[in-house]
Amino acid sequence: MPIGRVVATERKPNTPHEFHFWTALDAPVGIGTIVRVEGPPTSDGRLVTVYGVVVEGFSYTDLQTPLHDVLGADGDPAGAMRAPTDRTEIRLYTAHALRHVPDEPLQPVPMGSVHLASDADVAVALRMDGYLREGQRTAIPVGVYRSGAMQSPIYLDADFLLGPEAAHLNISGVSGLATKTSAVEWLLGSIFAHFPAQKGSVAAVCFNVKGPDLCFLDQPAVRLDDADRALYEAMGVPAEPFRDVEYFAPWTARGHALATLRSNEALAHNVHPLSWGLREVLQFAEVLLNKDDVDAKADALIDFIRERVVNQEFSDSLLERAHTVRSFADLEQWFRELLRGMEGRNAETWRTHHVATIRKVRNRLTNISTRCRGLVTDDGTSNDLPFGAFRDRAVYVIDVASSEEDAQDLIFARVVSQLREQLERRTLGVDHVVVFVDELNKYAPSDGPDTYVRQMLLDIAERGRYLGLVLFAAQQFRSQVHRRVVGNCGTALFGRMDMDELATPGYATLAPATRVKLSTLDKGQLMVRHPHFAQPVFVRFPRPAVLSGREGMERYPAEPEPMLEVAVTRSLRALDPSVTLEWVKQAIVAAPEDDVLRARNRTLQARPEDVKAYFRAQFRGRALPEQVAVRPSALPLAGAGSDDPYSF
Amino acid sequence: MAGHEPALELRPAAPEPPRLQRAEPLEGDAVRARQVQGEPEVGVAAFLDGIQESRVLAHWPGGVPVVHGTVAATIRRRRDRTLVAWRPEATRIERALFVPRAALGDIAWEALAAGCALRDTLESEDRGPWHPLDLTARALSAVQRRREAVEVQCAELWCAEGDGPLFVDGGIAGAGTAAHSPLAVGVVKSHRTLYVDGDTLPLVLGLGEGERTTLFTVTSPRRAPVASWYLRLRAPAAHDALWGLVRVEVALDGATTARADLVSRWLLAERAPVALPDPRWGAMAYGVRLTEEYLRAVTR
Repeated sequence: MPIGRVVATERKPNTPHEFHFWTALDAPVGIGTIVRVEGPPTSDGRLVTVYGVVVEGFSYTDLQTPLHDVLGADGDPAGAMRAPTDRTEIRLYTAHALRHVPDEPLQPVPMGSVHLASDADVAVALRMDGYLREGQRTAIPVGVYRSGAMQSPIYLDADFLLGPEAAHLNISGVSGLATKTSAVEWLLGSIFAHFPAQKGSVAAVCFNVKGPDLCFLDQPAVRLDDADRALYEAMGVPAEPFRDVEYFAPWTARGHALATLRSNEALAHNVHPLSWGLREVLQFAEVLLNKDDVDAKADALIDFIRERVVNQEFSDSLLERAHTVRSFADLEQWFRELLRGMEGRNAETWRTHHVATIRKVRNRLTNISTRCRGLVTDDGTSNDLPFGAFRDRAVYVIDVASSEEDAQDLIFARVVSQLREQLERRTLGVDHVVVFVDELNKYAPSDGPDTYVRQMLLDIAERGRYLGLVLFAAQQFRSQVHRRVVGNCGTALFGRMDMDELATPGYATLAPATRVKLSTLDKGQLMVRHPHFAQPVFVRFPRPAVLSGREGMERYPAEPEPMLEVAVTRSLRALDPSVTLEWVKQAIVAAPEDDVLRARNRTLQARPEDVKAYFRAQFRGRALPEQVAVRPSALPLAGAGSDDPYSF
Repeated sequence: MAGHEPALELRPAAPEPPRLQRAEPLEGDAVRARQVQGEPEVGVAAFLDGIQESRVLAHWPGGVPVVHGTVAATIRRRRDRTLVAWRPEATRIERALFVPRAALGDIAWEALAAGCALRDTLESEDRGPWHPLDLTARALSAVQRRREAVEVQCAELWCAEGDGPLFVDGGIAGAGTAAHSPLAVGVVKSHRTLYVDGDTLPLVLGLGEGERTTLFTVTSPRRAPVASWYLRLRAPAAHDALWGLVRVEVALDGATTARADLVSRWLLAERAPVALPDPRWGAMAYGVRLTEEYLRAVTR
């Protein structure tokens, strides 16, 4: 049964892209409703069908001026309610065409009957039929489109979400409505459930940039209701938490615990330290040094150090001895000796590098371990993501919420660079990686200095799809993100938006009613733009099947930073359950705190078979890996197994 | 089909001279003013109205006007405070060429008749020669008669098969069997003929809002006698004294004081919403305006 009729006037004509129709007052039509127009047969017998989405609605009566209504009611609103006949009223809608069948010739929408779109209509209207075909299915459910009692799953095309045709996803929405994080959690679950086997493996790396948002992805939700479960069922996604999640966080400044809100001991089994030594950091020194710091001279010296000094024996007539610089402490020792040597010979330059440049680079580089304390270790120990051994359908969460901005930038730059390099070499362990970054406006702002991180994000956005490196990014204000980053996101999701944001030019293509709807969306509602969809569509998605950050903090409260012995005990117990607090107290008695932490870090990095022996050995001098058997790592590190105990 | 000239109905016509015509009192021995008893109440079940539009399409040799006329009438039934079509046969639309057969000649008449419906604007006894403007006026009268005829068809249909009072825009004295039906209520907005004598004229013109005259009988040689009364729907204020004044017609049978009050209460209830922007809104019910708008929509 038709629910409306297409109309057009000279003042309000229809075009191939826009048409108008009226409905009964109680027709189940609203902004975002998808409709099907059936045109009358053409002279050559063709039937034209046009699909459209409602973008604007009008209602008016035959009143010429409100004053007439006042007159009719004698100025008494109650009098108007007593009128025996209601004024004639019209519901007139404007819709944007989604698809014409047949596609050619593309003509103005005919004066046909308007019907609510069925399930099959929705698939055709949004061109989903192309990737829902059996045998070529690349559909990823993103939510359901609702119209009256009908629920139609809406699918994204994996080829356009994760590459190679297009890629990346951007999500905007005001803070506090749990839309952005929830949507990404839901969509990752959907991807893991539906990513087609023939397209290979996929994993996710999520940067947790605030609070406990992503800290409980492996814990089941407590608030899933029947409606949510029905949505999961309708879209064929299991309503369960992620099965394979690993957490990484830098140490706190004191170093007793990891700087994450997922610090409850009950959840410690998959929380790992993220710490890097000199070698890892020096590659990304540019991230932490601004342009004023790194002029051409300083850059040349840093390159020299990176290529000629670090991780190799280096001798020079100015130095008292040969140096093998493997840590920031070694580097500081090297600088100190070099400058002393120059002073002793009253030399202003060394190997073309001026003493002022050397002092400046020394200051900036050795400062890094202070600025990124907890992440960057003085002693060169390193604990990293399992690059090379990424697992299919695994989520790797890097909690940088408690880290300083410099450390966040460094983590982001290095992790993404490693992902990129290894995806290029096909050595990462998976074929596709989704990188989720919240607060994108902070990392890739539309204005401000051209930072290393922004360049990196631009690079991912523009070239990542060929590598399988996919950016899922979220922010409150899309207008404040670099245009090339959002412009390269094939898919965009919009939760409830701020009206001020909607007034910016980026939203000018949306109809006023669509903008208003965006500003009043409920939790769980999204507007979706996707390359296959000629117009954005509104969908609902279920609550994530994982424990929310707030509920997680109630169930698994963060624990205060423990005393040194307790911290060490917890860390070592993850490797060897027989480690007790008493044993640790005896093992570290009288040892300086820095030495204890260094011993712990080295033990965690080496993951030895005999944890206790390895740990104790740290206090008797530098332990060599070959002295103890190293257990197979659950998280093997790239390059592990070399003779270098600091290698990874 | 319509020409570019304005509708004949919009052309200035020689006005029918206003007149007073004494009517026989039916409620008491003289026409008096009285307050309608009771509060306005909703009673009307449906509205009947008709429209006409005629245009000169061409002038046949000899100055004979060929007039295209459209007439329509319909009943709109009230349901849940909304007016909807009652039944298909209660909407009547006719289109025809209104031409004087005698002036046109049989050959031309037959030629035109082959392509469209024709209606003769002359009576059989009419003999020429005719002034061209007279022929145009006769065409307009013929269109008007057809409009009245389709209105009567609708009114009779309702009175035979409808349920509830029918608000007829205009008098019911010429509405055939409907003139005798308790369902038909005619409401006359124009007052070129005032059914009063010199003594009662001030009384009618001085009716206040919600007041009516007592019943009187309206008779006419070719029409059925009906009971009638004047009712002031709105205070004239700055308008002329006839503004907001209607004359109501109901079947003579059963026309009592109580019925006049009841029907008056129904009509008073129909004052809202106002029929603006129609200039006749002072005496026009909104239901009539909607019915008229409906007819204009379906005839264009």
